[in-house]
Amino acid sequence: MVMGKRIKKSRVVNRSILMVLLVSLFAVGVMFVADDAKAEENKRFKIFLSLSYSGNVWQSSAANIVKALAKTPPYDEMVELTEVISGSNVEKQISDYQSMIANGADGIISFPVSPTGLNRVIREGSKKGVLFFMYDSTVTEPSAYNVSYITAGHGENTAQYLVNLMGGKGTVMINRGVPGNSVDMRHYNGSMAIFKRYPGIKVVNEYYGYWDDAKSQQATSQALAAYPDVDGICSQLGEYGVLRACLASGSKKIPFIVGEDTNGIRLAFADPEMQKRGLKGVSAGSPPATAGYAFKLMMELLTENRKDLVHNIEYPLPWVEWDKVKLCKGDVFEDGCNCFPADKVAPTMTDEVLHPVLLPEISLKSAQTGEPMPGARIQPLPKDVTEARSEPGINCNPKSGKCVDPVYEPYMVTPIPVPK
Amino acid sequence: MKNNSVDERFGGRNDGVAGFIKSNKVTVAVYIVTILLYVVTLFVSPSFRNWHHLMLVLVLASFLIVVSYGQGIVILVRGLDLSVGSMITLSGVLVAAWVSQSNENILWAIPLVLLITTFIGMLNGIGATLLRIPPFVMTLSTGIIVFSVVLGFTEGSPHKGNAPRFLNGMMLDHTAGIPNIVYFLILFIFVAVIVQSYSAFGRKLYALGANPKAAHISGLRNNLLTISAFGISGFCCGLVGMMLVGYTDAPTLTMGDPYVMSSIAAVVVGGSSILGGKGNYLGTVGGVLLLTILSTLITAIGLAEGWRTIIQGAIIVMALIMSSVSERNTKIASAQKNISKSVPETQKV
Repeated sequence: MVMGKRIKKSRVVNRSILMVLLVSLFAVGVMFVADDAKAEENKRFKIFLSLSYSGNVWQSSAANIVKALAKTPPYDEMVELTEVISGSNVEKQISDYQSMIANGADGIISFPVSPTGLNRVIREGSKKGVLFFMYDSTVTEPSAYNVSYITAGHGENTAQYLVNLMGGKGTVMINRGVPGNSVDMRHYNGSMAIFKRYPGIKVVNEYYGYWDDAKSQQATSQALAAYPDVDGICSQLGEYGVLRACLASGSKKIPFIVGEDTNGIRLAFADPEMQKRGLKGVSAGSPPATAGYAFKLMMELLTENRKDLVHNIEYPLPWVEWDKVKLCKGDVFEDGCNCFPADKVAPTMTDEVLHPVLLPEISLKSAQTGEPMPGARIQPLPKDVTEARSEPGINCNPKSGKCVDPVYEPYMVTPIPVPK
Repeated sequence: MKNNSVDERFGGRNDGVAGFIKSNKVTVAVYIVTILLYVVTLFVSPSFRNWHHLMLVLVLASFLIVVSYGQGIVILVRGLDLSVGSMITLSGVLVAAWVSQSNENILWAIPLVLLITTFIGMLNGIGATLLRIPPFVMTLSTGIIVFSVVLGFTEGSPHKGNAPRFLNGMMLDHTAGIPNIVYFLILFIFVAVIVQSYSAFGRKLYALGANPKAAHISGLRNNLLTISAFGISGFCCGLVGMMLVGYTDAPTLTMGDPYVMSSIAAVVVGGSSILGGKGNYLGTVGGVLLLTILSTLITAIGLAEGWRTIIQGAIIVMALIMSSVSERNTKIASAQKNISKSVPETQKV
C-alpha cells in the first residue's frame, strides 16, 4: 500500500514538473515571438551614401540633402545612414561598394565616378538584393537605378535659348566641363546640334572650365581677349566665373550668357544695371536636389510604398529665364521664387537644392547644414515618374541593343526660324 | 678680378648691362622667348594688339607670380612646397568667412590670415629641418591636413561670404588705366628681388642652397634659414588666397589646386635649379609670363585641351634639359679654370 502511495505521489510530482516546464516553454516562446515582432518594428535600413568628392558646394549640398532627409521623421527611426567619401578614383569607389555590400547594405545611394567602371560590383551587389541608386551622374549597368537630369537636354535647350536671343546669327564661345567626361560630351553635342542648324551662328572658341568658377573665369578672360565682341557664351557649370570675366574685360557690353544654376548668375540676371549692359540668358543645369529625389525613391521601394520603378528616371531640367528670376524671402522656394539674397548664400552656390513638389521637406538651411527642417515630415512622392531615354554610354550599355540615340530637340523654348 | 660665377649664382650685382646679361644668361633667354611668344600672339589674334590685353596677361599672371616667389625661395634652399594649394584655399576661405563684403574686420583679419599661413609654412620648415622629414613628404602631409581642416571648417561648402570690396577693387578696379593689382605686383617684385638677391638674408639662402655643409661650417644657422624660407612661402600663399577671392568673388575648396605644379614649373622654366642654390626671382617672373602668354595663345587658337598639357609639359622638360646642360657647362668651365690655376705660370710657357 505504502509502495502504491509513493508511486502515485511521484506521478503527481512528475506531472506538476511537466506542467511547469510546458508553461515556461510557452512563456519563453511568446517572449521570442514578441521580440521578433519588436525587432521587425524597429528594423533600420542600412543605407550607405557614397560621394565622389566632398569639397565643392554642389557635392556637399547633395550630401546634406540626403542626410537631412534621413533625419526627418519617420525616416529618422528607420534609416541608419553612413556617409563614405570615395574620392574621384574609381578603384576606391569599387572597394567602398564592396565593403558596403559585405556590411549588409540594404541600399547604396551614390554619385558614381565612372559610367562603366562600377558596373561589375553593382551587378554583384544587386544579385545580393542591394538597391543601387545613382544621382546626377549615371552608370550603364541595367540593375542600377539612375536618377538624373542629364538626358533632359541641358545642351540643346540652353543653346536654343541663346540662338533665339541672338536672332539666329552672331558669334558664340563655349565653356565646357571636364575633358573626356560623358556628361560634358552629352551637353556639348546637344549645343552643337542646335548651333549647326543656324548657318549665321559661328562658334569662334571653345575651352574647358572644368565645372569650376575660378578656372572658367580665367579661361573666359583669355578667350574674351581674343574675341572681345563675342555675342553669346554657352556655358556649363562655371557660368558665374564666365560673368565675372565679362565684367573684368573692360567692355561695357556684356554678352548673352546661358549657364547653370548658381545664385550669382540669377542675381545678375535680375540686376537692372547688368540688364542695361545687355546681360540676358537662362539658368538651367545640374540640380543637387536629384540626390534627395533618388533617396526618397529608394526608401519608397525599401518600405514597399512603391511596388515597381523603371531604372532610368529623369529629373526635370531646372529652367529660369533672365526675366523670371524672383528672390526668395524665406528658406524655401515659394510663390515661384528661385534665388536667394547675396548675404544668405555664396554666389557660387547652386540654387536648385530645393523642389516644392519632390522635396517639400528640405529648406535652404537643410542643404547647407544637413539638419532636417523643424517640424517637417517625409511626404510621399508623386506616383508617376518620368522615364529617361536610355542613351548609349550615359545610362545604357551600347552593347545591350536597348539604347536609343539622343534626339537633340529643344522643348523648353520654341526654336526661331533660320534667318535668310 | 670679380668672381662672375658667384654673382651669376646670386643673380645679383654686376658691372653694366653686358655684365648683367653675362651673369643672367638664362633669365635673359627666358625674357627673349617670352617677348617672341608675345609677338606671335599679336599676329595670331589682332584683338591682342592693345593695352588691355597686356594688362589682362599681368592680372592672370599675378597669382602665379606671387606664389612662385615662395616656391622659388623654398626650392633655393633645396626644398619643395607641395602644400601651397591647400594654403591658398585656407587663406581664401578664412578671409571670405571673417571679412564681410563691406570690409568689416579687414584690419585684423588680413594680418591674421597672413600670420596663420606663415606659421603653417614655418611648421613645414620645422618638419623639414628639426624632424628631418623630407620636404616633399612634410609639405604633402601638411597640405592634406590643412585641406581637411578647411573641409571641416566649411563643412564641405564655403557658403559664407563673398569677397570683401577691398579685395574686389584690388583685383578688378583700375587706377590711371592700369589694374590696381599691377601696382601691387611692381611693389611686390621690387621687394622680393631685394630680399632674394641684394640682402644678406638672401645671400645666406643661396649659400645654404649651394652647399649646406659649407654654409653650416661658415656659421650660418641653416635650420632657421630653411624655416624662414618655408615661412615666406606660406606668406605668399596667404596673399594669393586673398587675391583669388577678390578675383572670383567667392572661395571654392579647389581654388588653390592649380598652383602646386604650375608654381614649380614657373620656377624651373625661369632658370632656377630644381636642386637648389641657383636662380633668381626675375627669371621666375619671366617663366610665369611665358606660361601665361602660352596659355592665352592656346585658348585663342582653340587648341584641343590635350595639347595644352602636352605643350606645357614639353616646355618644362626643355627647361630642365637646358638647366642641366648649362650646369654641366659651368662645372666643366670652372674645372678647367681650376686646372689652369693650379698649373704654375712657368710650366705654361
